[in-house]
This record gives sequence, structure tokens and C-alpha cells, in this order.
Amino acid sequence: MAIPLRRTIPHLFMIAYVIIILVPFIFILFSSFKANNTEIATHPFGLPKSWEFGNYKEAWVKAKINVYFFNSFYLAFTAAATGVLFSAATAFAITRMKFKRTSGWIYQFVLIGMLIPGNVLFIAQYLLVQKLGILDTHWSLFLPYTAGALPFSVLLVSAFMKSIPHELEEAAVVDGMNVFRMFFQIILPLTVPALVTVFIVNFLGNWNEYLLSFFFISKDALRTLPSGMVQFRDAFQTNYALVCTGIVFSVVPVLVMYAFLQRKIIEGLTAGSVKG
Amino acid sequence: MRTTLRNPYVYLLFVVPTIALYFLFFIYPMLTSVFYGFTNWNGLDTKDFIGFDNFVNAFKDEDFRNSIWNNLYILLFSCCVQVPLIIVFSLLISSVKRFQGFYKTTVFMPSILSTSVIGILWGYIYDPDVGLINNILKTFGLDPIYFLADTKWALLSILITNAWQWMGFYIVLILAAILGIPKDIDEAAMIDGATGVQRAWYLTVPLIKPIINVVIMLSIAGALRVVDIVLVMTEGGPAGATDVMASYMVNKAIKYGDYGYGTALSIIIFIFALVLTALYQTLVVRRQEKVEY
Repeated sequence: MAIPLRRTIPHLFMIAYVIIILVPFIFILFSSFKANNTEIATHPFGLPKSWEFGNYKEAWVKAKINVYFFNSFYLAFTAAATGVLFSAATAFAITRMKFKRTSGWIYQFVLIGMLIPGNVLFIAQYLLVQKLGILDTHWSLFLPYTAGALPFSVLLVSAFMKSIPHELEEAAVVDGMNVFRMFFQIILPLTVPALVTVFIVNFLGNWNEYLLSFFFISKDALRTLPSGMVQFRDAFQTNYALVCTGIVFSVVPVLVMYAFLQRKIIEGLTAGSVKG
Repeated sequence: MRTTLRNPYVYLLFVVPTIALYFLFFIYPMLTSVFYGFTNWNGLDTKDFIGFDNFVNAFKDEDFRNSIWNNLYILLFSCCVQVPLIIVFSLLISSVKRFQGFYKTTVFMPSILSTSVIGILWGYIYDPDVGLINNILKTFGLDPIYFLADTKWALLSILITNAWQWMGFYIVLILAAILGIPKDIDEAAMIDGATGVQRAWYLTVPLIKPIINVVIMLSIAGALRVVDIVLVMTEGGPAGATDVMASYMVNKAIKYGDYGYGTALSIIIFIFALVLTALYQTLVVRRQEKVEY
């Protein structure tokens, strides 16, 4: 009797925790299908009386969630992909090519970046993009996003590349392969697990980034989801159902990704913080 | 024979894009920050060198001092409330076999979402009219609480949201360390008759001290970095009750164009982060003996 009870105690606490995590989502999900504020206020916990899919259509088109969604997606994707490519190239150069001393310096130099907390550079970066004349264009997000991910990416990919045996390129050199083919056809395919981790971490970071996207972009058509959502909330403050719909739109893609790649995501994000 | 891997042009080609971007968006802003921090630049007039005036003014600035206190409050909350809870929950998860994976994925989930969206989401949870919490209070016949508009509640509300988002992340970090401890130690203690709580407190916790230190350091850094959630949920209001150093800095610089002053504030934040983590390192981490197993 005593032992089964003792075993269930941890589960009780954990179930309480899980409920606290999930309830806000369920509240938002139900609210997004409700007809109006009165229904949310009077039946906050119940299922909607009739499922209002119209909210989704309205939010997607009228409230321009589709625009924000597309901007977020392509910026997060291109910046993450560019970051992966650049960091892989750099990691290849500093771990596999024969410039040991220079490589050591470059590595240390790039790692300094991990010591600087993100928003400390915010104003200086703002002034920089202003000076470059790219304020209020997607370049002002693409470039800092790509650059911001580099220190962590170079660190992680280099660590991975170091473990690949050197005999591989020796054989390739003997066979007369050039550096580019060696990089693209031998080393990159072997580094894929690290590259995927880095890509996911960067993609999520960019998809969620708020500070820069809110202050560097003022044209509504260029906004990304996190900043667009804030704008959207301020504009539709009185229509709770519609804002909840917007939240669903921005949360679902990440959750879908998480459902498929949870192990990679957890591993990547925690590695990033511990090594940093 | 190995000229292929000694080609300096290829080397440059591979390294230069990274270094160029890195220099432009890390090193250059860092240098200009230091420079702007000592000027009175407001975006329009000339940049005059004014020495340490910005820094002196910052500590005379009552609003900024208030935001420092708020940061310290956040820091204390995360170290004294969040960290113990994180340890307890990771011990709980590690003690179960069934649903362990499910618990882990669920508690981690909020940390992959955008802070701004979470801010909006919790804004609704806290809403005085339709919000979840006030609906619960209403069923008990209590008056609604204006969580985000009441100076008494606003900062705590933000902290709860912040904890809701980030605790799972740290739980997973610690959980990984706990699961990495060799099983035989625990089994030996069990045979000797140690209860679950005893094993957790006298065995597991001492063994995971290094990762707990990491979590505390990350919490310190995190407490100084809090900004998105404040800007989204309250914009520092009501009456500065939730203003933190970073949100104050962003507002000063962007809204009022006080670039020189704003940059000085960002340097102060950086120094705070540096000093606090260094203090923790020397006062706590160095003094602990190393555990080996």
C-alpha cells in the first residue's frame, strides 16, 4: 500500500506542473474559436458553442498574419542557412586546413562573441544599420541574425569537425581531389548532425526574435511574427478571439517542428547555453 | 603533396565571410558602444566627448536606479525561488520511469516559443475582464485583480510568466546531469537503506553541483537580460514598476534618441553581468571542493 502511494507522489506534482504548462495553450486555443468577447468572458473554460473557423480566415488575411508569417519564415530560414554555411566553411578552414596558428587566433576571436550578452549591443547595432542605410529593410534583420548565430555555430561545428579522422582528407588529397569537393562531398556530409542542430537552434532563435524586429522595422509589410503580433494585439485589443487566433498561428509551426525534432531541439538549445 | 590544404586563398575564402560579418555586428558595435558611451550624442547635434558624465548621471537618475532594483529583484527571485523549484522538479522527473519523456518534453516546450508571443498570451491570462485567473477569482466571488496595471502585482506577474517560460529549460539541463550519474551509487545507497529523499539530498544534489552552478550563472545572466517580456507586457509600466535596465535603455535610446546616454547604460548592464558572474565564480564556485565519481 505504502509503496504505490509513494511512487505516485512525484507523478502528482509533475501532472500539476504539466497542467500549468498546458492550460494557457488550451485557453487560447478555445478562445480562438469563440464568437466574441462575451463568450470568452462567460465560458472561459468550456468548448466554444460553435467552432468559428472564420476567425482564422480573418486573422490570416485581414490582419496580415500571412504576411508576418511569410516574412518570419523566409528570414529565419535564409539567415539560419547562411549562418550554417558560413560557420561550416570557417570551421572547415580552422580545423582541417594547415594554418594552425592563424586558426587558433580566429577561433579565440570569434568566441569572444559568446561573452557579450545580446542586448548590450542593441543601440550600437541600431546605429550601425542606420548608417548602412538598411534600417527598415529585411537586411537589417538578416545580417544581425546571421552574424549573431556565428560564434555558437562555429564553436559547435568546429568541435564536431575535429572528431572526424584526418585520414579521410589524406586519402582524398592523394586521389587528387580539390578543396571544394573535399568540403562539400566529404566533410559536410559527415558533419550533418551538427549542422542540423545548429540550423534548428538558429532557425528557432530567428523565428522568435523580437527586439530587433520590432525596432529595426517600421513598415508593417516587413514585420515578422513576434513584432507583428504585438502590433496586431495593439490594433485589435478589443477582439480577443482574433488575437488568440494570431497566437495560435505563431505557436503552431514551432510546436509541429518540436513534435518531430524534439530530441535535436533540446540537445541543441541546451548545448548552446552550457557551452556559452 | 598537401598543398590542397595549404592554399591561403581558399582559406581566406572560407574564413572571410564569417569574420567580416562577425566584425561588423559584434566587434565594431562593441567599439562604437564604448565611444558613444562617453559622448552626449542624441542623433542630431555633434558628438561631444563628456567623459564619465553619462555614467554619473545614470546613477543619479532615479528611474534608472529603480530599474536596477527591479533587476535585482528579478535576480533574487530566479536564484532563490526558481532555482530550488527547478532542482526539486528535476529530481522528481528523474525519480519516475513512466512518462519521464513526456514530462521532459512538456516542461521544455515553453522555452522554444517566442517571448513576445508568450507575453501576449499571458496578457490574456492576466486580463481583468476575460482572463483565466480573474475568471477563477470570480467563481470564488473575489474582485478582479489588475495584474499588469497594479504596481503591486505587475512585476511579480511578469516574473511568473518568465518562470513559466524558462523553468523547463533549466529542468532539462539538470535532469540530463542527474541521469548521467552512474546508477550503482544510487543502488548502493538504496541497499544501505537510504530513503528517496535522503538519496536525492545527500547524493544526487552534491553530485550535480557543477550543473547547478551553471544554472545559477545562467539565471544571473538571464535576469539582467530580461527585456522582451517587459516591453511586450507592460512597456515598463505602470509608473516604472516593471522597468528593467535593458527596457529603460531601449526606451531612452529609441524613443528619445539619447544614444550617448543609452549606450552608457548598456555598458553598465554589461559590467553588472560581468561583475555578478565573476563574484559568483570566486565566492561560490571556487570554494566548493570538486566531486569526483
